[in-house]
Amino acid sequence: MTALSAAFSLAPLLPLLVALLAAPAAMLAGTLKPRLAAPVGTAFAALAFLATAFTWYRGGGTVDLAWAPTWGMRFTIALDGLAALYALLATGIGFLVLAYSSRYLPLHLDQEGRPEAEGARFYGFMLLFMGAMVGLAMAQDLVLLFVFWDLTAVASYYLIAYDRHDPDARASALMALLVTGITAVLLLIGALTLYATYGTLSVPDLAGSVEPGVTLTVAGLLIACAALAKSAQVPFHFWLPRAMAAPTPVSAYLHSAAMVAAGVLLLGRVYPLLEKSQFLLDVLLVVGLLSISVGAILALTRDVLKQLLAYSTISQYGYVVFLYGLGGEYGAAGAAFYVVSHALAKCALFLTAGAITEETGEDRLSRLGGLTKRLPLLAVASGAAAAGLAALPFTIGFFKDELLFEAALERGGLFAALSVLGAALTIAYTWRFWGGLFLGEGRDGAGSLPAALVWPVAVLGGLVLLGGLFVEPFALLAEAAGAASYGAPTPIEPAYHLDLRPTNLMAVGAFALGIAIVASRPLWERGALAVSRFGEVLGPERLYEWGVDALNRLSDYVHRAEVRDLRSRVAAILLPAGVLVGAGILVTPTVGAYRTGEVMRGDFPLLLALVVVAVAALTTTFTRRHVTLALVLSGAGFVLALVYAFLGAPEVTLVAVLVETFLTLLFLGTSKLIPYKVLHDQAKLPLGNQWRRVFFSCLASLFAFAVAWSALSQPAAENTVAEEHVRLAPDAHAQDTVSAILADFRALDTLGEVTVVALVILGVATLLNRGRLP
Amino acid sequence: MTDQTLLVLPAGIPWVLAAVFALLDGRRRWVGRIAAVGLGVSFVSMVALALRVLRDGPVEVVAGNWPAGVGIVLRADALGVAFAVVSIGVMLVSLLYEVSLGMRSRTFPAVVLFMAAGLTGLFLTGDIFNFYVFFEVSVTAAYVLTSYRERDYQVRAAFIFAIVNLFGSVVFLIAAASLYHVTGSLEMQTVAERLGETSPNSAITIAVAIFVAFSLKLGLFPFHFWLPAVYVGSHPPVAAILSGALANIGSYGLLRFGGILPDQLALGTYAVLILGSASIIYGALQSISRSDVSEVLAYSAIGQAGYILLALGLGGPVGFSAAVIYAVVNSLNKALLFLVAGLRGPLVGAAFAVGALSVAGVPPAVGFIAKIAVFKAALAAGAGGGTAGAVGTVVFVTVIFVGGALSFVYMFQIYQRVFLAREPQGGHVEKPSPRATRALVGVLAALVLVFGLWPEPLLVLGEEAAAVLTGSPGDVSGGGDSP
Repeated sequence: MTALSAAFSLAPLLPLLVALLAAPAAMLAGTLKPRLAAPVGTAFAALAFLATAFTWYRGGGTVDLAWAPTWGMRFTIALDGLAALYALLATGIGFLVLAYSSRYLPLHLDQEGRPEAEGARFYGFMLLFMGAMVGLAMAQDLVLLFVFWDLTAVASYYLIAYDRHDPDARASALMALLVTGITAVLLLIGALTLYATYGTLSVPDLAGSVEPGVTLTVAGLLIACAALAKSAQVPFHFWLPRAMAAPTPVSAYLHSAAMVAAGVLLLGRVYPLLEKSQFLLDVLLVVGLLSISVGAILALTRDVLKQLLAYSTISQYGYVVFLYGLGGEYGAAGAAFYVVSHALAKCALFLTAGAITEETGEDRLSRLGGLTKRLPLLAVASGAAAAGLAALPFTIGFFKDELLFEAALERGGLFAALSVLGAALTIAYTWRFWGGLFLGEGRDGAGSLPAALVWPVAVLGGLVLLGGLFVEPFALLAEAAGAASYGAPTPIEPAYHLDLRPTNLMAVGAFALGIAIVASRPLWERGALAVSRFGEVLGPERLYEWGVDALNRLSDYVHRAEVRDLRSRVAAILLPAGVLVGAGILVTPTVGAYRTGEVMRGDFPLLLALVVVAVAALTTTFTRRHVTLALVLSGAGFVLALVYAFLGAPEVTLVAVLVETFLTLLFLGTSKLIPYKVLHDQAKLPLGNQWRRVFFSCLASLFAFAVAWSALSQPAAENTVAEEHVRLAPDAHAQDTVSAILADFRALDTLGEVTVVALVILGVATLLNRGRLP
Repeated sequence: MTDQTLLVLPAGIPWVLAAVFALLDGRRRWVGRIAAVGLGVSFVSMVALALRVLRDGPVEVVAGNWPAGVGIVLRADALGVAFAVVSIGVMLVSLLYEVSLGMRSRTFPAVVLFMAAGLTGLFLTGDIFNFYVFFEVSVTAAYVLTSYRERDYQVRAAFIFAIVNLFGSVVFLIAAASLYHVTGSLEMQTVAERLGETSPNSAITIAVAIFVAFSLKLGLFPFHFWLPAVYVGSHPPVAAILSGALANIGSYGLLRFGGILPDQLALGTYAVLILGSASIIYGALQSISRSDVSEVLAYSAIGQAGYILLALGLGGPVGFSAAVIYAVVNSLNKALLFLVAGLRGPLVGAAFAVGALSVAGVPPAVGFIAKIAVFKAALAAGAGGGTAGAVGTVVFVTVIFVGGALSFVYMFQIYQRVFLAREPQGGHVEKPSPRATRALVGVLAALVLVFGLWPEPLLVLGEEAAAVLTGSPGDVSGGGDSP
């Protein structure tokens, strides 16, 4: 019984699990048999849609599991209205797009001469995209949200670069990844800023505790930046038209239900935080308006089908952002409704563009037209979708504009006027797209499009019309989503009213203005082209390209400045080391820290020896010949051994003499082995930058001198461990302390040093035999 | 198994095996395999020790049963085992990689085992001179490893590596001798206790010497000048070992001695923070236009080391744990990327992509956990610090953000150039690497993803290791109260 109830409490996981399993399932199927990837993937998308719908029908719910308790990160997912709306879009449109792809992709691969097996990769990433979107829609913990957020970026990266032999596709994918991936970090910083102040990452908890103030404004701005970049809003919009390098189904999905939708999804999710700051809402308002106009004007100038649609997407999501910026209940629910109706229409139009390019081999408006006779069903289906986008009556789109007008009216006349202008522009470019494709003179003859390229468009077109007649299901979903964002019920009553209410007048005004814009094309065309040209010359895309280029050049420049030869490499380390010691001396009190002690009469031999060592050390700096150098060095070494003798350390003296003898012999022997000419040439070092070398050497000497002097100025510590060693030596059964230390107290060190010697022998022997030891 | 045995096994097994294998020809297949098994056993015992330490607190042994300080103290605490586990793990994978490709050098298995013994000893010792000895064992093994292949430019790179690092060793030796002079002890905890009585001036000069020595090892800007030459010329598993295991000496040393010299670390905070930030930006900037994968990775290592230093400078429990987490994650990333760089064939590009995502801090690869850790450290540093704190937070968050953004650019530029564009397009197909080798890097890539999706073990490790350094209650065993 308890097990059963436990299982039920985990029920909201079902849609996410199915959606996340889809990608591996399709990949696996595709590896076993390339042809299986498409049906398995499509079936999983359908299953995920059904699972989402079923769970939502059952009342949604929340699952809250510990994820990384040390950092307060929780695996919290909920199927609330907002999640349901986006998850249904991602899976439902995902299903249609995949069904379309099952026919489109083989044609695409065939045209490029690629094997069928590459399809598995496509379905894998499409479904990963879908799974990530479902997760993103359901995530309530901001870090969990960030994980799914970046997962969509990764999936889109591989999908845009799907034709990876094409340099343009790769560059576009990189651009999309950089723009959305780098801005995603802002989302993370925003989340962590909130966590640092409020101690929770859960959006509902934050909604309850966040107060207006600097923290909220900063964190909100960071999060909004990430969302706006993802939704391709001005000034981050430039990556989206470039992303059209992807195969058409990817574009359709990206624009309608995934990637770009993810941005406004995030806005909807964190809306409870954003709405507490009027400043943040105003930012959204301005960005939305800018995107509406830039997107629409550029859409009116583009000739390539997918480019036109891409700019239209920028403009349309501009409305959504604008709606969130307007705020209030109409804003929240209206934005959600807008996303649904746009998704249905835009997806259909993209799929239409793909089908037409498959049919005719052309992708430019100027070379297309009059296709109604050849493709009647496609013309009707996409006509319905276009009508939906243009917000004509009897389509779902009519209501999206009705809600927009209502929300705008609440804020005042200026916003109402702007939204009417925006709606008119939408009508203009939508007409340009559909009319340009299907009207006018065209060749007769039956089209040869496979059914799978047409029926998904027909389904979407049908849904657009259905929504125009029975708007309740969509309105309910949007209300639920709005309530999740707004935190209170957001009743919306989209309906047809046959009266002279303001929204109707605004709609009529928009139609009239739209027709006027279409009719007056010659009047404004040059102006629009000038705007487009201006964007190309000074726009953010130029800035991006200039930035990447400048970084590469700067990198080259810094790289050329790196040092190369051994002497400089050592010197480059000595310099900062010396500077750091100097800084250390500056920040600590030096009074009394450096002492010289007293010089006794008996110390003079010792001083003399030290002077000799110093002179020898100095001599090495200007000695040229290697043999001389070896002799000077060994001279310094032998005198140093003498110093140990003065200090009463006979063992050390013996060792030092032994080592010096060996070293001297080794140096002399080696220089005998090297051909005289090589030695002679090497000795003639260039004398340039001599002062720099002197400077480095002095600095390094000062560094060593300061460390040694300041340590030795300290009185030697009392109760040193050496006393313990002397006391305990008899216990170690040793005749003298040194033996006891070497062989017992610190035997591990001795063993280690023996190992070092063994390693050195091994290394030298390897080197001498060029790696070929017997 | 007693704690004492568990403490000795991880270093003891590879040490004994190495001594035996130095006499054998590593190119024989069975020698490489037994060496790998031996290192595997050492790794398993290391993991067991780590679990024991995390559960019951530090484990301590004094060599020869002498009083602590007279004999050498070996102490495994969370900080040491964190570094030991990841370092031995990286070496194990690199050794398996070389075994699966076919060993080309007679001495490779023995030298790797020697280095494993040295590194384990270094991470588990509580004695400063013993630390130096193990340090010498490890870096000497590294000198031998870098001359593994016998082309002239590689030997030249090995020479640069040896000279510069010997210089670092001498600097550290000066510091160790000075520490003994002023405190009369070599046992780390005793030294830490007695340092308070030393004049600030000599303490800070000693601290600077230690800082220089370890920065050099870690390859921080501006002490990095040996690094690119060596990494670029090295055989992939050698580069992986240098970057994923040996460089840990630097980060561990900075952290460990930062714990011994806390006042000096506090005094040098600005220098540490500035050098860390400079390293992040400099390394990333250098990486951007490099055209060779290993060169990109080499400069990237400089930038990544900067994050560790930055976290160390930000300090406190959050900063220290960020430094540990970043070091561990960076080891995994670098091992994966350097190993993948030498391979061709299906799924190699995917493994590289996982590593690239991890360096850029993109989930679900584990790198994003490390990025969160440093962001948290930067945010925590500003908390309650007034205007100065807020400015500091903004500056460091910006540095981390910019460094991350640049790493996006360089990792994916090189990924696209080398892996995305080159994958077979019908026609000419490069001969793929052996399946076992590709599977090995696949496992490593999977590990990077698993720890990204389930970061809790890493976070606990980081937290416990930081507790060792901040001396928070319940985690410091009395070094003094052992017999």
